[in-house]
Amino acid sequence: MSARTRSALAVLAIGSLALTAACSKGNAGGPATSSAPTASKTNLTELFAPAKITIGTADDSKGPSIPPEGVVKGGTVNMIDRDDYPHFDPARVYDNVTSNFHELITRQLTGYKRVAKGEYKVVGDLATDAGQVSDGGKTWTFTLKDGLKWQDGSPLTSGDVKWSIERLFAPYITEGPPYVQQWLTQEDYKKSYGGPYGGKQLDGVDTPDGKTVVFHFKSPHADANYALAMTGYGIVPKAKDTKEKYDKEPFSSGPYIIAKHTVDKSMDLERNPNWDPASDPLRGAYPDKWHLEFGFQALAVTDRFVADSGDDKKTFSFYSHVAAERTQAVVENAALQSRLLKQPSPYGDYYYFNLDRVKDIKIRQAINYAWPTRQIQQISGGPVSTVVNSTILNPSVSGWQDYDVFGLKQHPEGDIAKAKELLAQSSNPKPTIVYGFNDTPTEQRITVAIKNQLAKAGITVVAKPMNTKTWYDSTSKVDNGLDMYWGGWGADWPTAATVFPVIFGPVHDGGYNQSHLNDPAVKAEIARIQTLPNVDEANKAWGELDKKIMETITPLVPALNDVGLQLHGSLVGGAETDPISWVVSPNTIFVKQ
Amino acid sequence: MLRFLTRRTLGAAVILLIIAAVTFFLFFAVPADPARLACGKVCPPETLAQARHNLGMDQPIFVQFVTWLGGIFVGRDYEGLGHCPAPCLGYSFVNHAPVFATIVDRMPVTISLTIGSAIIFLVFGVGTGIIAALNQGKPLDKIASVSSLIGASVQIYFVGTLAMYFLVYQWQVIERPQYVPFTDDPLQWAYGLLLPWIVLAIIFTANYTRMTRSTMVEQMSEDYVRTARAKGMSSRAVILRFALRGTITPIVTIFGIDVASLIGGAIITETTFSLQGIGRLSIQAVLNSDLPMLMATVLLAAAAIVVFNVIVDALYAVIDPRVRLS
Repeated sequence: MSARTRSALAVLAIGSLALTAACSKGNAGGPATSSAPTASKTNLTELFAPAKITIGTADDSKGPSIPPEGVVKGGTVNMIDRDDYPHFDPARVYDNVTSNFHELITRQLTGYKRVAKGEYKVVGDLATDAGQVSDGGKTWTFTLKDGLKWQDGSPLTSGDVKWSIERLFAPYITEGPPYVQQWLTQEDYKKSYGGPYGGKQLDGVDTPDGKTVVFHFKSPHADANYALAMTGYGIVPKAKDTKEKYDKEPFSSGPYIIAKHTVDKSMDLERNPNWDPASDPLRGAYPDKWHLEFGFQALAVTDRFVADSGDDKKTFSFYSHVAAERTQAVVENAALQSRLLKQPSPYGDYYYFNLDRVKDIKIRQAINYAWPTRQIQQISGGPVSTVVNSTILNPSVSGWQDYDVFGLKQHPEGDIAKAKELLAQSSNPKPTIVYGFNDTPTEQRITVAIKNQLAKAGITVVAKPMNTKTWYDSTSKVDNGLDMYWGGWGADWPTAATVFPVIFGPVHDGGYNQSHLNDPAVKAEIARIQTLPNVDEANKAWGELDKKIMETITPLVPALNDVGLQLHGSLVGGAETDPISWVVSPNTIFVKQ
Repeated sequence: MLRFLTRRTLGAAVILLIIAAVTFFLFFAVPADPARLACGKVCPPETLAQARHNLGMDQPIFVQFVTWLGGIFVGRDYEGLGHCPAPCLGYSFVNHAPVFATIVDRMPVTISLTIGSAIIFLVFGVGTGIIAALNQGKPLDKIASVSSLIGASVQIYFVGTLAMYFLVYQWQVIERPQYVPFTDDPLQWAYGLLLPWIVLAIIFTANYTRMTRSTMVEQMSEDYVRTARAKGMSSRAVILRFALRGTITPIVTIFGIDVASLIGGAIITETTFSLQGIGRLSIQAVLNSDLPMLMATVLLAAAAIVVFNVIVDALYAVIDPRVRLS
């Protein structure tokens, strides 16, 4: 959110100042459009193959982590970005950028282990495995590894884990994810328990001994181990919990300790002597020291990495993307290609139909056929900055199945004939569509392209420019007076369990069901899949539901998927944009000598 | 003098209070909800209400304003975070750090930026202005006029970005600007800020050149200058002792305003050169709906203007004996 705007995608990362720069839709400014960059001849399909995420075994959960090629230990690595992190208490962290930083100081029960490029496993982080499930998915048991310690050498126990879950119910914690709390109690979970500070314990989390934690959920949750990998479920030491103040004085269980921190300016990390790499399957922690600096806009970051001089060689950035005004120059500069990271976003991007207003499925499908995907791609910076997507789920979500019902990939220029054919069968062969758009220069041009294209099929588009600051609030009103509008959503973990139940969930003002889909069959299917005890079975079912919704209801036109471009210094090794969090993970970073 | 100062101080306090109130109430007219930013992505209404309560935003706006105002004089108690001693400007909605401490931390950058560039643009601006005035119509005058016109026309985001791109990244003739405290290493302090100083000065110098030139030309044709000349005073003495003194009054006025606005934060300069001063704080506060930080930066900028106005008025009396403060 650099400058933090409240544009639609920014909402995905509320609490993070960071993401806006990266994903503010339509704020890109964008390079000249007509010429697609030619320097890169990479096979996009292969480059952008979605990450594979599977459940790992107890063996996979053992440390140390798998080192990247050519790894060197030691040295100091520098990190530059625009914004500091809003929270250091893991319970108050939700956004991907802050979570990514927390890899350095915070551990969870589970985590994502990088096995190879594009291959990840959900494994035990503090736990010996990714969890033992019983009682049809309602009971989850985790056993802590031996010898886990806090930064002062005191043991990390199951009591700490229970405490960390209990404190999420306290009134001062409002920023984090709600899932596990809701599963343990009820939807409005803060009403059922007020936190551990008054001396009351939470029912539903048992600690039969110092190393075992048992979660008793009210209903089955096959992907609880995905949820528990979120930083929001990071473990906090009971003995050092200072409530609100903990946000300023976190206690490390990870490989580093914050040695010095000047808010919004800089931070220095030093090794945590009590972190044992043998217990940690996720974190390489190769550099001895980290120096983080904040306050750099995307342009400054890009120019520094392009120049690659002095200490900037040992510098990288967690989330700063190549500045829009430099994109063309960077992708066409052959010398930079070895230092250029490309990764499509893990978020869903849609042009929603308002199903309350565009009631005829034939019209919705006609618009899908006619959609000017290629033109929008050109305006958004060409195939280097975007990939065509034809599904509701983002390809990075487990269980994603590729399909292309309306030929968005086959006919990216739009199939006008097919659209006309469908319109002729519809209730209104010459419909008018009120299209609301975020009033930014790029979106204005995209809107013109949509308008001209749909006119060819006989559809009149009435374009309504909307204020960027209030964009989300306006479009998320149930009675928004619009037929179509862009919207985005990011899964909280890479299964559809945090996608479909939300974007096709409750319809209310400010909610995320922006198509207002309210189909009994879809709702029943979502409810059924949610209670499936087997995660693979559930993922498969989500993938099938995706296609079924598109075919039978067509509540949206899938939008392009933005590709994040990031540069780094030439002496930084192991830099890779994580396909799940869409930022550079600190876990594989090392400094070349 | 004492009466003058008392009166002006009281006036300044009233002005600051009005500015604070207007900023505070305008903030709530903007459709952005800081509580939404303190509530997770999936934000149930109950959690939103809790977040609003935690920020103190569930109180009536007037009560919030009075509480905020009271904090400045007597401090404030924050649930869970403890006492925030006076002058308490609150905790930032975004990074949750005490606002006053952050302002104090950023102040040296802004003051350094102001002092350095002010010295450069004052010396160069007034200097070239005098030279131009004394060489009226000659090539030197033309050069000074044209370059000042160019200087006045360019913008910091243009010159600054060009300077960064070519001098720092492409040719690498100067290191990337950064702030090193004066107390750590005065040389590095000056070197680190040299480029921002020069760029900032380019924009401001032009004003001073033009102002000095025109006033000086006017002064040189005044009766008292002619009289001094006729009495046989050397032209150096005439210029320095009489003409310059007459010229300096309008210069002091604009200098006071310029320095005050720079202390309020050079937003574009700080952003262009990635310096962490008051300017960056204020623009971030606006973009992030960070009310406490916004209030602090607005008040600081306003206070700087008010204070420098008083200083300028007092200086008038020193420079021009005809001005009486009472």
